[in-house]
Amino acid sequence: MTYDTNMPAPGGKELYAPKRPKERKWSNQPTPIVQAKSVTGSSLVVVISIMCFLACLTAGAVYLINQSAAAWTDDIASEVTVQVGIDSKGNIDDKLSKVAFFLTNQSGVNGVRPLPAEESSVLLEPWLGDGATLKDLPIPRLIAVELDRANPPNMTALRETLNSNFENTSLDDHRRWQSQIQTVTRSMALGGLAVLILVGFATTAIIVSATRSAMSSNREIVEVLHFVGATDRFIAREFERHFLSLGIRSGLVGASGALLIFVFMPFFMRLLGGSNMTSAEIRRLLGSAALDLPGFILLGIVVVVIAALCMLTTRYGVYRILNSQHH
Amino acid sequence: MIRLENVALRYGRGPEILRDVNFHLRPGSLHFLTGPSGSGKTSLLRLLFMSIQPTRGLIHLFGQNVTRITPSRRADLRRRIGIVFQDFRLLDHLTTWENVALPLRVTGKKPGEYQEDVTDLLQWVGLGERMYALSPVLSGGEKQRAAIARAVIGKPELLLADEPTGNVDPQMARRLLRLFIELNRLGTSVIIATHDHQLMQQFQAPRLELHDGRIHQVG
Repeated sequence: MTYDTNMPAPGGKELYAPKRPKERKWSNQPTPIVQAKSVTGSSLVVVISIMCFLACLTAGAVYLINQSAAAWTDDIASEVTVQVGIDSKGNIDDKLSKVAFFLTNQSGVNGVRPLPAEESSVLLEPWLGDGATLKDLPIPRLIAVELDRANPPNMTALRETLNSNFENTSLDDHRRWQSQIQTVTRSMALGGLAVLILVGFATTAIIVSATRSAMSSNREIVEVLHFVGATDRFIAREFERHFLSLGIRSGLVGASGALLIFVFMPFFMRLLGGSNMTSAEIRRLLGSAALDLPGFILLGIVVVVIAALCMLTTRYGVYRILNSQHH
Repeated sequence: MIRLENVALRYGRGPEILRDVNFHLRPGSLHFLTGPSGSGKTSLLRLLFMSIQPTRGLIHLFGQNVTRITPSRRADLRRRIGIVFQDFRLLDHLTTWENVALPLRVTGKKPGEYQEDVTDLLQWVGLGERMYALSPVLSGGEKQRAAIARAVIGKPELLLADEPTGNVDPQMARRLLRLFIELNRLGTSVIIATHDHQLMQQFQAPRLELHDGRIHQVG
């Protein structure tokens, strides 16, 4: 249709209002129909940031514990210990050399390391205390046996051969420890997963409530959009884009906070009065307590999941509200 | 184009605003909808615009029964209808230009595709100098012209206008009516709700008169 622009236009120029720069009207980014400030207030940003912080902290801690446990299990699985007890002949050093030589010749063994008597004493110190008395006790000696992980020996056969050839020796393949570590790790992973699920539920509940509030405060805009022929999908998109942006911003803030915690944890421990021992204990639990590349990727995934959760919750929240209005 | 059969409407448990409304409007027709204040003109327009459902009866628009319709289908049909509200319903945080462009924007078109049409129309309704003004700084008459421009920018097949000349001077009223008539000549069916008898005398068109909730076709 064409309009007769030659007709005199009523009204004047006197009423007005500063023009926007001309390029604004050609812009591909026109004024948002739903304004961000009417949808996502600063308190919402803070709450979602805290949720993301908690999620990242949990995911990061579970990841570190898993890594640390995997390293332990790896070490333990690639090594067994042979305990050599004193027999009737009484010369333990001689017997230790013979057992070590015997083990070296077994298939699937990469190396053996007999522990000196001092090392064995150090291991027993927590129970028996320090002192010269240890030398007088019939303390068994240990041999650390490094296994070929690609071609491990048959443990049962090795144990039997060892027992038949040497009196008073035993082989410990650390299975009990491996099983305990796996139990602890799985428990922690499940605990972490439970925390993540709770954070997810809490975030969803907050976003549902925020969506309702946003729809309510923008009721007139939604009405006008319906009147001009907007589909529910279009209206939902107008809201969800703000919540997606909220999720990304809050996610990045939360993840950055969690990263700082991981980086400065030893410093925080000292600040709270923890000694070097405390740091050592944490290191024992979390390994180096430093995230590697997969750890960073995991935090990135948490951010993406939180942002997607915000967006999708809003989308379905808007659909639900619009559906209830239609009926 | 529009067919109503035994349509009745009441709000809640109140009295019937409309009862036994029957009429059939052909495509390309132009009608004035008239009647005293409170006679149900706005309610009838709201029924035709599918923003409320009749208490009973059937409404057919564009050959479809719209008394039971899905939201997406309703959105499709609304894109074929332009409506001018008595209270304008402009969005305060958008400029006049953006308000007028809204029906095209919701279809997913890019601003570059319609900027010329919107600008031309705004020039034509005398808002060329007010294109970038936010709606709260517009006068009543300017808001009305912006609301009309928004209703017609999508070249609707049906135009519903509720007191479209209520806030403008006689000269502008005639000009806006000429816009409606021009649209009508191009094939748009037009229903103008008004009680401005002077205006109705200037442009001879059949009337739908509402009295006591019933409708009478005149002319």
